[in-house]
This record gives sequence, structure tokens and C-alpha cells, in this order.
Amino acid sequence: MSQVFIVGQSELPGKVRVGRDEVLDWVFVVLPGVSAEIPLEIDIDGPGAEVSLAGLYLCGGDERVQFDVAVRHNAGDSHSRQFFNGIAGGRSRAAFHGRILVRPDAQRIRAFQENHNILLSEEARVETTPQLEIYADDVECSHGATTGFLNQEEQFYMRSRGIPESEARVLQMISFLSPVLARVSDPAERERLSREVEAAVRSL
Amino acid sequence: MKLLEIKNLHASVEGKEILRGIDLGVGRGEVHAIMGPNGAGKSTLGAVLTGRPGYEVTEGTVTFDGADLFAMAPEERSWAGLFLSFQYPVEIPGVSITNFMKAALNARRKAQGLEEMKAGEFLKLMKEKMAFVQMKGEFAKREVNVGFSGGEKKRNEIFQMAMLDPVLSILDETDSGLDVDALKIVAAGVNALRTPEKSVLIITHYQKLLEYIVPDVVHVLKEGRIVRTAGKELAEQIWREGFESIV
Repeated sequence: MSQVFIVGQSELPGKVRVGRDEVLDWVFVVLPGVSAEIPLEIDIDGPGAEVSLAGLYLCGGDERVQFDVAVRHNAGDSHSRQFFNGIAGGRSRAAFHGRILVRPDAQRIRAFQENHNILLSEEARVETTPQLEIYADDVECSHGATTGFLNQEEQFYMRSRGIPESEARVLQMISFLSPVLARVSDPAERERLSREVEAAVRSL
Repeated sequence: MKLLEIKNLHASVEGKEILRGIDLGVGRGEVHAIMGPNGAGKSTLGAVLTGRPGYEVTEGTVTFDGADLFAMAPEERSWAGLFLSFQYPVEIPGVSITNFMKAALNARRKAQGLEEMKAGEFLKLMKEKMAFVQMKGEFAKREVNVGFSGGEKKRNEIFQMAMLDPVLSILDETDSGLDVDALKIVAAGVNALRTPEKSVLIITHYQKLLEYIVPDVVHVLKEGRIVRTAGKELAEQIWREGFESIV
């Protein structure tokens, strides 16, 4: 069961240790108008542990949002996954610093990290720094980071079908965020959050 | 007045003139084919008519149903009944065909001052048009063009055309990359939409599609100008003798 944190409303967890066979499933949402630094330190201390961190951040004005995520695999046979997508418009600054550490005797690890960003203005800035430190050899680990503008070809295709430019942009942004929203396991909560995110996207 | 009236149309891409004075009129109920060798400007014509960014009209006028086409945004051209079947349909990850079509139809209804379509009515229309291009039920849930084969992409274009029910359909190289079976489905789809009020402009390099969708008029485009206009027999001549035989 995933736990949702609305940054600026919910109390943030900060540091946590995850023991044998424990599951940690967190989703972070940063809505427009909220500036925040979100440090997350996860120590995975037991085999069989499963950690999933997901997040979306929407900045349309002069917000400053920064995620500092550290996931440390201190025990073998554990899995972690990070999936963060953000949209930055206006003169906002968004940063995602994600670190994965795998200790020398932590074998059979799977650790993944994805951070994708869309810029809505020339003045907005996004910084994404993935950092992998792997000291074990039986490890499956990957990261991906991208930053770009909304795809113009997609927009023209939609407009040629009668979807106005503003609505085409909303569709693009919602589809970009939907993999993060899909991480919310409770259907009612996911539905409520999706509506809130759609309204926020329309305001950008 | 003709449905589409193109007069002395010049257009450039990145400062290079591609269309160099096109005159063309398409009447209601007519099917016109525009043929020509690679680089003649065929796809540029389709792009300019639908308002694709990056194409600059430097001279000339186009009226669609009496209105100045170039004063309209791409979405407004769609609402007015213009449709382009893309040569290279665009993939839109994360957007389902259902949501895509719902957004398209409801945007037009909103522009026309109508209420959104009822869910049941929309689903019925989807089902009917999917059957029309022989698409199975799961098609509606798929992301637009993502992972589609070449034939599926072109059938999806014809599906969208059927959903939007345009007054003028421009088919840009709809036959390229299609096997004969897919070609027949596409052609049957287009033919079924032919009415005395609706017109089609077929842009093609080959004569093959014109065996299935028989045009009233064939134009040959060469170096940005129409160099020859005749009946359907012109397509057969090109097929036999090549573009070089046309002055």
C-alpha cells in the first residue's frame, strides 16, 4: 500500500531504515506554489526489502524545489526503484539529486532510478544529477535522466485533429505524469490525486 | 464557389522556396490526386494547407469553404472540416486513442457551442468506426500510434478521419508502406466516406492507390508547380511511362 505525501501539507519522513522483507512505498507530490527541500535518506538493512520512491513536482512561477534522495543498499537481495517526473515553468528552479549506494557485501541488488523533466519556459531551470556508487559486483543498476520541452510534433498532430493548443499541452503533461500517479495503489486516492494534478497542470 | 481554392501559392521551408505558384480548385464531391516525383512539393502542400509550423507562405491565397484558410489556427481548420492523413503519424505516449478522440470531438463541439458528447453515444461511434477500419476492441485503449505497425498507423489515420467526418480529406502518401490488404481496407474506408458534398485530395507518388480510389482529376506536381492536369487516365500514363513523360 503506497503512502502519499503532499509536500507543504503532509509531514515529510526524512530518514528511514528498512529491515528484512519490509516494503517501503512512498509517493511525493509537489503542487504549484510550493517551494521545498526534500531530503530523503533510505537505509536498506535487510534482505528481501523492497523500496519504491516516486514523485512529481509542478512549478509554474518562482518556486524552488529540490529533492535530495539517497538510497543505501546495506544488505544484499534488496530492491529499490526511484521514479520522479517534474514540470518547471515560469522562473522556477527544480533539482533532483539522486544517489544510489551499494555496499561491498550487498550482492544481488536491483536498483533503478529515473528522473524526467519538462521545461515550459526559457527562464525555468532544472538540474538533475544521478549518482551511482556501486561496490558490489552482482548488481543490476540503471538510471535515466532527461530534460526537454513539450514535443512540437505531438502538438501539431493533436491540433490538426481539432484539439486546441492549450488542451494539447494539458494532455501531454498529464500523460507525462501518469506513470508517477500510477504508483498510487489505492484507486480512490489515485483518482482524487489525478483530478488535483490535472487541475494543477491546467494552471501552469 | 469551389470548396478549396488555391491561388498562386508560394511557400518556403527554412528560406528555400518549395511551392512556386500553385493554382488548384477542388469542387464539392470531387476526388483529386496530386502526383509527382520526390521533392516536387507534394507533402509541403499538405503541410501548408493544415498549418504545420515551420512552413512559410510567401505569396498567394487559399480559401476553404469561402474562408481565408491562413487566418485559421490548425485546430480551427479541423473544426471547419479539413483533415490530413499524415504520411508519418505521430506517436503520443501516455494518451489513449479513446482520450485522444474524446478530446478532439469535444473540442470541436465546444467551438460549435454544443455540449460534450454523451459517453454512450461516443462509445457507440468509436465502435462503429473501429469496425469500419477493422480494428479490434483493445485498439481503443492503446496509446496513440505507439508500437503500431505501418499498416495500423495508416488505418488509425482513416479511423480518425471517419470519426471526425471531414468535408475535405487530404491523404498524404497514405499508401506508402502498406501491403495490398491494408491498402484495400484504407481505400474501402475512404470510398465509403465519399458523398456528393465531400472532397478528397490524394497526394501520392504511386498510381497503385488510385486503382482503388478512382480520382476525378489528376494533377502532376513538379518543382513546386502543377505542370499537367487531366482525368484519371493521366495516372495510368504516369504508371506506364514515368514522370519524365509529362512535360
